[in-house]
Amino acid sequence: RLLPQLPQLSPYDVNLALRENEFVYNFPLDGIIRSYETNQLGSNSPCEDSRTEASLLHRNGFICGVFDGHGGAACGQVVSKRLLRYISAGTLPRQVLREQMKQGCTSQSFLKCHNDNVDFVSEIRPIYENSFQQYIKRLSAEPQRDVATELEQAFQQLDEDLALEALATNDVRTMSVALSGAVACLVHLEGLQLHVASTGDCGAVLGVLDPQTNQWQVKKLNSEHNADNMQEVERILQEHPREERETIIRNGRLLSQLAPLRAFGDYRYKWPVETMQQQVVPMFGEHVMPPNYYTPPYLTARPDVQQHELGVNDKFLVIASDGLWDFLTPSEVVSLVGEHINSKKILEPMRLPSGDVKLKEISAQLAERKAGLTRKPIDQNAATHLIRHALGATEYGIEHSKISYYLSLPQDVVRLYRDDITITVIYFNSEHIAKLRNETSTASSSSSSSSSSQPQPAA
Amino acid sequence: AIEPNEKPATQLPSQARVVICGGGITGASVAYHLALHGWGGETVLIEQDGVGGELPWSACGLAGRFEPSYTELKLAEYSIDLIKQLTARGLPTGWRQVGSLNLARNFDRMTSFHRMKSLAVAWGMNCEILTPEQCQQHCPLISLDGIEGGLWIPEDGVCDPHLVCHAFIAEAQRLGARIVEHCAVKKIHSEHGKVARVETTAGDVDCDYFVNCTGFWAREVGTLSKPVVKVPLKAVEHHYLHTKPIENLDPNTPFVRDFDGRIFFRECEGHILAGGYEREAKMVYEDGIIPLSQEARQYPPDWDHFHELLDALLQRVPSFRDASLDRLTNSLQVFSPDCKWILGEAPEIQNYYVAAGNKTMGVSASGGIGRVLTDLITKGSTYLDLHILDISRFLGLHNNRKFLRDRCKEAPGKHFEINYPFEEFQTGRNLRMSPIYPQLKEAGAVFGQSMGYERPNFFDLNDKQDEFGLPRFRIAQTRTFGKPPWFDHVASEYRACRERIGIADYSSFTKYDFWSKGNEVVELLQYLCSNDVDVAVGSIIHTGMQNPNGGYENDCSLARLSEHHYMMIAPTIQQTRSMCWIRKHTPQHLRAKVNVADVTSMYTAICILGPYSRILLSELTDTDLTPKSFPFFTYKELDVGLADGIRVLNITHTGELGYVLYIPNEYALHVYSRLHQAGQKYQIQHAGYYATRALRIEKFYAFWGQDLDTFTTPLECGRSWRVKFNKPIDFIGRSALLKQREEGVKRMYVQLLLNDHDHEVDMWCWGGEPIYRDGVYVGMTTTTGYGYTFEKQVCLGFVRNFDEHGHELAVSNEYVLSGHYEVEVAGVRFEAKVNLHSPNLPTKFPDREREAYHATRDKPDQADLLSFGNSSSSSGGDDANQTMTRH
Repeated sequence: RLLPQLPQLSPYDVNLALRENEFVYNFPLDGIIRSYETNQLGSNSPCEDSRTEASLLHRNGFICGVFDGHGGAACGQVVSKRLLRYISAGTLPRQVLREQMKQGCTSQSFLKCHNDNVDFVSEIRPIYENSFQQYIKRLSAEPQRDVATELEQAFQQLDEDLALEALATNDVRTMSVALSGAVACLVHLEGLQLHVASTGDCGAVLGVLDPQTNQWQVKKLNSEHNADNMQEVERILQEHPREERETIIRNGRLLSQLAPLRAFGDYRYKWPVETMQQQVVPMFGEHVMPPNYYTPPYLTARPDVQQHELGVNDKFLVIASDGLWDFLTPSEVVSLVGEHINSKKILEPMRLPSGDVKLKEISAQLAERKAGLTRKPIDQNAATHLIRHALGATEYGIEHSKISYYLSLPQDVVRLYRDDITITVIYFNSEHIAKLRNETSTASSSSSSSSSSQPQPAA
Repeated sequence: AIEPNEKPATQLPSQARVVICGGGITGASVAYHLALHGWGGETVLIEQDGVGGELPWSACGLAGRFEPSYTELKLAEYSIDLIKQLTARGLPTGWRQVGSLNLARNFDRMTSFHRMKSLAVAWGMNCEILTPEQCQQHCPLISLDGIEGGLWIPEDGVCDPHLVCHAFIAEAQRLGARIVEHCAVKKIHSEHGKVARVETTAGDVDCDYFVNCTGFWAREVGTLSKPVVKVPLKAVEHHYLHTKPIENLDPNTPFVRDFDGRIFFRECEGHILAGGYEREAKMVYEDGIIPLSQEARQYPPDWDHFHELLDALLQRVPSFRDASLDRLTNSLQVFSPDCKWILGEAPEIQNYYVAAGNKTMGVSASGGIGRVLTDLITKGSTYLDLHILDISRFLGLHNNRKFLRDRCKEAPGKHFEINYPFEEFQTGRNLRMSPIYPQLKEAGAVFGQSMGYERPNFFDLNDKQDEFGLPRFRIAQTRTFGKPPWFDHVASEYRACRERIGIADYSSFTKYDFWSKGNEVVELLQYLCSNDVDVAVGSIIHTGMQNPNGGYENDCSLARLSEHHYMMIAPTIQQTRSMCWIRKHTPQHLRAKVNVADVTSMYTAICILGPYSRILLSELTDTDLTPKSFPFFTYKELDVGLADGIRVLNITHTGELGYVLYIPNEYALHVYSRLHQAGQKYQIQHAGYYATRALRIEKFYAFWGQDLDTFTTPLECGRSWRVKFNKPIDFIGRSALLKQREEGVKRMYVQLLLNDHDHEVDMWCWGGEPIYRDGVYVGMTTTTGYGYTFEKQVCLGFVRNFDEHGHELAVSNEYVLSGHYEVEVAGVRFEAKVNLHSPNLPTKFPDREREAYHATRDKPDQADLLSFGNSSSSSGGDDANQTMTRH
């Protein structure tokens, strides 16, 4: 290990650092989502990760995303705010969209963000608003498509808009957005239908409680677009001439530079050679051109979309940037959050089931809570709990000195040890899911039984 | 600060004799008893809400008499009788005599039941020891899993506290008492140290007496007067579980207490009401401010906290597993730091009475409390000795909010714990410590607490350091009714005191200075004390301070430091109490002239005792300590080591040769170090309280608060020679004592030595064992212990003489000495030899001075025969006189 003699932080300091960006939002009781907990621990300065969560207006839905920027924070920040707006419009029934347009809607008319306290600077805002208006104008003319296609379209449209804005305004700000990059993982939930759209190497996992064994099982809802994903590597190679096979992916990186194989922005890997030469190189210099840049685009923002119908055993969903997955595997994450749920029950007063309840049932429930008490977590927030484990886990439990070590690394080397970590944990309301499932199954008679959508435990 | 919810319903009078604040069951009972006494028209009860306002499910309504002391048991018994009586008169009370079944899961609990059963004969209580099978017959619901046996009290029952409260109120109103609801007290004004006026939200009332029965708020109401009346109380959460109605539940199910499971339950209108006393109570309203409205006080139930009790309940009654929950309520209960009720006149303000801290047992306590408070208000005395419940048992420290918070976590749990001898609280410790405390701790002291003072109970050299090599703070534990774990340590300390030299810390003793310019101090003490205090300067006398009935309010030693300066040494627990007594009974014309100061905290008291103590002290001082110049029962101010001004008393309170040194605190460590250092060649050894206690029991010395109480007269305890009827001043209690001298005493203090008691295997005496004379119950032991010289259990106690109708007859020496005695220890009777006077113990170090002194004497007039003064002697008090003649 490098630099063993670093100043130690006190547990208090560690808690301050870990909890600085905590956020919890509790939904009304009758929703499909009970609450979500999120947190972020920066490594880069400024942190290149972003996150946004929003409720969809005009219908009962929720979207949230985790964005991991690279080559600067600009693209991640812009995408994190704009992508949700594009999607909220895209997945809105066209009829409603048209009505809203008549009333003069803006990009923020279709959603309500829960943890949003920054806005674009005034010079940029009209540009973005203009692009959005163009987008919905086109949308309103097109027929309604399924959610997966709309998500794909929204991703790609936003990415295209980034390029158009950069080239049209020739502003250093819009250009830096187009040249920096961001990967994204986005969750869209409406009714029982859960869609995960992912571009790049963020990850989303579903925590499923097996009712028989009472064990936690993992269902992964996306595949990372990086050099470890052979399908993805194959796809890129297919898209380019054979002679580039050696140069496209080298050292596990696109054109030996970029780790994710899909991303927003990063137009250095997308624009034609002449656009680069005419508009980008004069502004940023020769080194902007990646080596072996022959047949762009090498990169796309097109997401990989997976659909899942929620079942009563689906308890929570974790989406996180690769900073977390560098430390913990999906199954570790699910079992940590699962344990945290059990032990967190003890932190809030016991809720008795409604109706007639026998004393032995209460006793059993209390015994379960008591078991949770012995593993009472330090953190109330599951995202913080995960970060603490990511940084401090050892074979014999959480080691304070290890977290302290990671947190006190100097700025110039810290990136080598840990990446920005962003985590959002969404808790589902199983009782409400059960109710909805009953309604849908009775409504659509017995023919379309929901067996196909039962969550499948991942290996 | 307190605002009532609504406008007062009734007009408040502008004048009343007694104002009772608080319309709960206690206040209602006080109003009822005052009305019964004929004061109804002059009594006003004010209540900020409606009377009996507690929610119906916030109490359990157990009316039981299982109480640890005679006083509490008698009060509870009276309450139950009163409820029965009200019921018989047709008032709704919900009373049903279902009996109480008390379960034991272990041997020690069973022993405590046997002790209770032994006491029952003395205390006039019906009870029965049960086998597990018999327990099940009384209550077929219970599982016998782990049950060793039980105690059945047939006359206990259940009632509805709210109905009882309303019955008290209705009766009080019928007898003329006025009840004013929705009226809150704002201030209690006093004049000349007495209650004068109560200011309320509905106007002022001029009154003579104020009674604070405000339950949870008693401490806060205490702050509404100047000076503040300290009512140390803390509210904690307390849960009651109500099930839904259970089919075929026997309405005559007894109320069951499974002490070791910390739970109880009863039948209540077809369902089960259960509760318990958790090991550690949950604090609530830590700032001490409790909301006035019922709604604001509703706390959500804490199921996790109740879990242990729920499981204990389901284990005891498996069929309840299938019972449905109605509700778990979380209501407040209030506890005092020693888990006992708080009663009596406030030390701070005269005619200000307090009745609070009734814990969850309000219904069992209220009747008795109403009666005794009414007695105290109307007559100044009552039919029971109340000193263990008296509010003057506390010091300021007990009212510290943080202390209460710590201590009251532990207090409720004590409620169901086995009442082991010398039980100690684990919290609120290390509060008052003498300057030599660190040295004592290093020497292996294991501490007990008295009035907050850490006092070494014994010394244990094993395991005295913690993991860092520092002296550990250890709390003495007995936790058995048999041979205690500290037996050998105390034996060795005892031997050191009798054969070599022991050093003990007496710092916790109450110390007062009395002085005046002229002779007023003598006048005052002559009035307060039954002994003659006008002795030669430098003398020490033992004297009681009697109440008008002749009973001991205080038992103390007085050293006459100079012509007009006395120092009083009294038991530790008298620190607040005796000041109240003195203040209250100082005649008007002496008030401004005599100074009385509590100097307890100014002096460290170190006692050296044993045959070498005189030689040791001689080494450290220039003063001649021979009996001729510094005899027994005299006082001198000495230089010791390099320090000066040390008040040295040639008494030890144990009967050994020795001295108690009252050392100004800043010299304490110096003097202690010198004594300890110089004592090495005599193998000086630390002695704790248990050793000095063993010494004094063997020597037949009575102690106030243990043997003597407000109902014991000097004539009954072999101390009539300390009462000087011929004093020029008519002291308090003189006429009562004269009368008793004429009529003869009804009980007599004796020492009993148990034969055939094997201290290794038999249960020990711990006080409160019944004494049988010729097979007939005649009295109870007070203090007991193992006599290391006699090698026998030694019991001190009182013997009475009942005729066949239960009437008390006079007790004579002949009566006492002619009987054949037995003492019943946890159900087993041991034959005993009786002593009427302090015995002379065999010793290798004969000491004529002390041998001639008998603290307790069989012949009331023995002192008179012996005492003829040696007028040429410069010193020699009353007690010394008899020995002076021999030199």
